[in-house]
Amino acid sequence: MLGLRCIVGDVVRGGLLRRTCVRPPPPPPQLTQRCFLSKGGSGSSDHLKLRTRLVVSLLFGGSLLAAWRYVYLEKQERRRQLRVTQLRQVSLGQGTFSLLDQTGRRRTKQDFLGHWVLLYFGFTHCPDICPEELEKLSAAVTRLDQDQALPPVQPLFITVDPERDDVAALARYVQDFHPRLVALTGTLEEVKHAGRDYRVYASAGPKDEDGDYIVDHTVLVYLVSPDGLFLDYYNRSKSDEQIADSVRNHVKTYKNLDP
Amino acid sequence: MSAPNSSERKACWDSRDLLWKCLDDNGDKAESCLKFQGEFESNCPAQWVKYFTKRRDYLKYKVKMETEGFTPAEGPKQPS
Repeated sequence: MLGLRCIVGDVVRGGLLRRTCVRPPPPPPQLTQRCFLSKGGSGSSDHLKLRTRLVVSLLFGGSLLAAWRYVYLEKQERRRQLRVTQLRQVSLGQGTFSLLDQTGRRRTKQDFLGHWVLLYFGFTHCPDICPEELEKLSAAVTRLDQDQALPPVQPLFITVDPERDDVAALARYVQDFHPRLVALTGTLEEVKHAGRDYRVYASAGPKDEDGDYIVDHTVLVYLVSPDGLFLDYYNRSKSDEQIADSVRNHVKTYKNLDP
Repeated sequence: MSAPNSSERKACWDSRDLLWKCLDDNGDKAESCLKFQGEFESNCPAQWVKYFTKRRDYLKYKVKMETEGFTPAEGPKQPS
């Protein structure tokens, strides 16, 4: 009330009001000062005040900006965490498998955790696509082997035709490809289970008079990250060089999805 | 029956390629390529012969689709 009177008094310079301002009934100290300041505004400490004001507004603005940035980063981090959780829930390859390798040793999914894996599903009686894809996969791994900075990438083959692809058949088959290639087989159920985790389709065709048949199946090369989850895939149109480049990029930008 | 090994696969693929080239050069007249057909069949498992024969049809169809495009089935020529 008094403050308002002061301002009005300043503006209209009305005698009565002004007098009230100069000699207020019981004036609270700060208000008198404010009144005085607004009247005798410019003094010798003008320069200092400008600097103080500048510093104060800079400090205030700066801390406001910092606070905003903190909240923004917090929010981003929360979003990232949420996304990671969501991705983990929907990602392929969450299950496990337990199969026999070409030496007859039992290998489980856990054996490959911590390693980058290039995975292909196929069968040894495959006429053209499987051998071509496995050759390409082997060539990509050989390219990556040359890069000393990269961890070794494990080439892995899982049969979709366990009826014919026993341990011995796989042992013969792997000789034609990368020396580190691990080939896996098992019972029909075990093999189906392994494929299901990566949404692999496989369907055996009719048998001919020799008992021979073709298995129609998914012909993608899968990249599995060290936490055992599907990360990327390469179709037939990708060259071994393109696969190697992509794997290299994934290794560089990889973030562990483990909480 | 064990699966063909690497050199057997290569022998099969090579005779397949020779047969396919012959068929391409001779306008798909099978009688002009009987020699290659015989080699193809002796170098590849019977199941593969069937597979590659179908595959050639498929690949040719794919090329046709890519170069000539889709030919719609016969139907009313003019919208009425």
